[in-house]
Amino acid sequence: MSQARERLRRICIAGSGQVAVITALALRRTVPDTEVVVLGLPGDPAAYADRAATALPYTNKLHDRIGITEEAIIQQAAGSHRLLMRYFGWGAEGQSGAMPYGAQLDAQWRTRFAKEWGGGPRNAAGRRPAGSLAEVLADAARFAVPPGDMPTPLDDIDYALRWNMPAYRDLMVSIAQQLGVNHVVGDIAALEPNGQGGIASVAVEQQGQIQGKIEADLFVDCSGPAARLLSALPEAKRMDWSTFLPALRLLHGKPQQGMLALEDRASLLPEGWLVEFAGADGLQITLGLAESISEQDALQALGVEPAEMVTLAQGCAKDAWAGNVVALGDAAASFEPLGHLNLDLAHRQLGLLLEMLPGRVVEPLERAEFNRRAALMAQQVRDTLATHYVAPRARGVFGEKPLPESLLHVLDQYTRRGRLPFREEAALLNQEYMALLGALGFPAGVTPQSQSQDPGEAEAARTAFEVQARQALQFAPPYQQFMAQMMQPQQPADSGIAGDLQY
Amino acid sequence: MSGVNSKKMRVVVLGGGTAGWMTAAGIAKLLPDLASVDLIESQDIGIVGVGEATLPHIRGFVERLGIDEAAFMKATHATYKLGIDFRDFGRIGESYIHPFGSFGEEVGGIGFHHYWLELQRQGLAAELGEYSLAVAACRANRFTPPAQDSSLASTYGYAYQFDATLFGPFMREFGTSIGVTRHEGLVVDVERDPESGDVTALLLKDGRRIEGDLFVDCSGFRSLLLGQTLEEEWEDWTHWLPCDRAAAMPCTHKTSDIRPYTIATAMPAGWRWQIPLQHRMGNGYVFSSAHLDEDAACEALRKAAEGDPLADPRILKFRPGRRKHSWSHNVLGVGLAGGFLEPLESTSIYLAQMAITYLIEMFPQDGKIDPRDRDEFNRLVDMEYDRVRDFLILHYHATTRDDSDFWNHVRTMQVPDTLADKLELWKRAARIEKYSDGLFYDASWIAVYIGQGMLPDAHDSRVSLPDPGRVSGAMDNLRKEIASQVNAMPGHMDYLKSEAARLAEAA
Repeated sequence: MSQARERLRRICIAGSGQVAVITALALRRTVPDTEVVVLGLPGDPAAYADRAATALPYTNKLHDRIGITEEAIIQQAAGSHRLLMRYFGWGAEGQSGAMPYGAQLDAQWRTRFAKEWGGGPRNAAGRRPAGSLAEVLADAARFAVPPGDMPTPLDDIDYALRWNMPAYRDLMVSIAQQLGVNHVVGDIAALEPNGQGGIASVAVEQQGQIQGKIEADLFVDCSGPAARLLSALPEAKRMDWSTFLPALRLLHGKPQQGMLALEDRASLLPEGWLVEFAGADGLQITLGLAESISEQDALQALGVEPAEMVTLAQGCAKDAWAGNVVALGDAAASFEPLGHLNLDLAHRQLGLLLEMLPGRVVEPLERAEFNRRAALMAQQVRDTLATHYVAPRARGVFGEKPLPESLLHVLDQYTRRGRLPFREEAALLNQEYMALLGALGFPAGVTPQSQSQDPGEAEAARTAFEVQARQALQFAPPYQQFMAQMMQPQQPADSGIAGDLQY
Repeated sequence: MSGVNSKKMRVVVLGGGTAGWMTAAGIAKLLPDLASVDLIESQDIGIVGVGEATLPHIRGFVERLGIDEAAFMKATHATYKLGIDFRDFGRIGESYIHPFGSFGEEVGGIGFHHYWLELQRQGLAAELGEYSLAVAACRANRFTPPAQDSSLASTYGYAYQFDATLFGPFMREFGTSIGVTRHEGLVVDVERDPESGDVTALLLKDGRRIEGDLFVDCSGFRSLLLGQTLEEEWEDWTHWLPCDRAAAMPCTHKTSDIRPYTIATAMPAGWRWQIPLQHRMGNGYVFSSAHLDEDAACEALRKAAEGDPLADPRILKFRPGRRKHSWSHNVLGVGLAGGFLEPLESTSIYLAQMAITYLIEMFPQDGKIDPRDRDEFNRLVDMEYDRVRDFLILHYHATTRDDSDFWNHVRTMQVPDTLADKLELWKRAARIEKYSDGLFYDASWIAVYIGQGMLPDAHDSRVSLPDPGRVSGAMDNLRKEIASQVNAMPGHMDYLKSEAARLAEAA
């Protein structure tokens, strides 16, 4: 007879950033009678999952699940919507392309229509016509979140949220407090092993004084790239990504005037890549510098007043879960904020932990299954990043690096055959990744089927798209107007909690 | 760009059975500008015609070729199939249905089966199948197509039970209507390029010579091209899947009711199928020749078969396994020539369609075969075979039966490591190894594990968090809702009758 496993009595989460807070919140939601303690360790500037002011569409589902409402993020944390990433100059000087979110590029359009309409050889240079509804909307600055209770022309649009990170973190902290998450500020003085490859307790110090120790059944390491719990375990191994990714310094500019835009931008410059992040609370500019660039050239390329320079060592934990310690976010994988994958990976790995939450005793095979899937997620992120650096023009800026076999295989299939092999636990949907490859200027091969396609089909797809685009534009109000409406408090300030967890 | 830069690739399909005609029709329909298709078949060679039952994927395949579902069902005397009723597998006297559908829904991110296990521990759970709309419809002999939304009525899919000997001719007619050139004749010699070893032409008995650039071996177990000519190694899986014979015997229908599901009943040396078609009942005994001789199997089938025999039992021989490489040189095997598991879970036609789909995806461009595409095809095909293999082995291994040498063997045999880990993960934590690319997902594994009495030791710790009354109340409501929806469905036979375009005249 199958028995319910004994529940975790206490979970200790190490970290003070937004990854630690959302982890605490999510775990408290899923096991309300388990004590959840956050050990607020000092932060790390290279903790890009913790610094991120955005993620990808998966996060919206995670928010729903743990009861953080979009209204609260918009009203209390300067939230806004991003429908796509726009890429400039990666394939060739003057070339551009877009990567919209969601599965909106219908399979049948991935044919001649997609090539001629959505970018490709004919449009290798210069701006080409919009190839997705998201682009049509972003170009017209029109959008509204579909109400969900009736069909609309915007139903296929997916989006990512942006926010003001400190305000977003505060919002989650206040919910966590209401839910009874405990919080201890301090640093790690010592770790006591549990004799089974994990940790029995953490001794906490404040200003050099031992304050006590936290015992727990499960430790979640959200301490940033140093992975302070996981790295202390004898089993822990790190995989270095520097074989495949260029050495990077990241130069952050001081935030500029806030703006409402439905897209963020990543441009390739001779000095490296430049990401412009359109926060409602401030435009943020980050420069990912190629190795040989001088500080003076870097400052000039940044174009705004600099705020800080961060050096990064890209890599991931070989096994994100060892003993009773699970690493999430920067502690599991540390990499540059290109494509906004940092927090998305943290959230997807958190989702995996919620799915596979162990009982008091961890089963080795469930740990192995978690590690198998988490490693696939990390590998897919690495490959997605590496994809940027082998874009036709990026090779000249960042230099040549060997490619992982997995990415070679994917790029070979795409450039020769216009096909993407299925990738388990991929960072992006196939449609999104296909769009990314186009936006980065990779020439697409032609699928056998589209070589036999009736030219009329492409024409019909184009006409259908134009109809859809017209309907979407008619339906969507100016984005500014929609946001103004969202900012009107409907009721007394939203607590940010969407009711009890539904069982 | 249609074929401007390249001449058409000449595809020669050897074999006019189900696999051959599906391949020929698929290429002719989907790649008309890239390929010409010749098919060689001989009336002197019978077709195996295995696979009277199918999986839901066949619908997508048929649809993609632009074939009308009603015409297809009418031509093949097809009935609807919602799943398979497995009897006596885990233990004699016990049965369960593996549905084309799910059981309940996850709640709070925790799989439904964890809640079911908890209720079962408390003695409050009904049989798992009662929480599946597809299973409940099977039990009630009812059918209606699933809804296209995300409601309860959309939680299942369907396939067909059809006459495989009629499917080949149907596809032949379709194939020749869209440009496949058919050659009647026996292949007596295979010409190969002395340097590359590629096959260049097939010589027929009457002296005709059919040249080609790409050859698809659909010659069945004989595997004239891939096996006999290229001597591509066969990976034998008989040690895990010991059944290697089937005795098949068509019978009349015993009642006017037609079940929307297949029955698979475990027998002392294998298992027996009952597949209801519009006009007859397919009966067969799949057995291990190491444990039972052919005469005894035919006798056992005669005794057990449902309905009056329409013919004597016919013996089919097979070997579970697959070629080490399904595509070698310029020859690839589709259907039995490439691999075969066994009829359990009706994967044979699926595996052929899977290979055809990947061939179309990886079809040579500019008239040349790129080794990278061949490798990719082989990788994809191997992955599918290996995953299905583990799932089939589970049906034999997850048993307490000790009433025959056959069951003692499969119960105690060492299973592949990939399966051993899955079993252990299930046993210790009630979890399923997740993959998104493959044939059988969580619900299928859970159906077999629980159906065959392989209950785990422990399930998710969180299932006891909600108020137990609320959980059992919600689960009762689900059962009631399912029962009420099933009650509103027409009987399977009534539904078929109301869709006259789908009925063969003879029915």
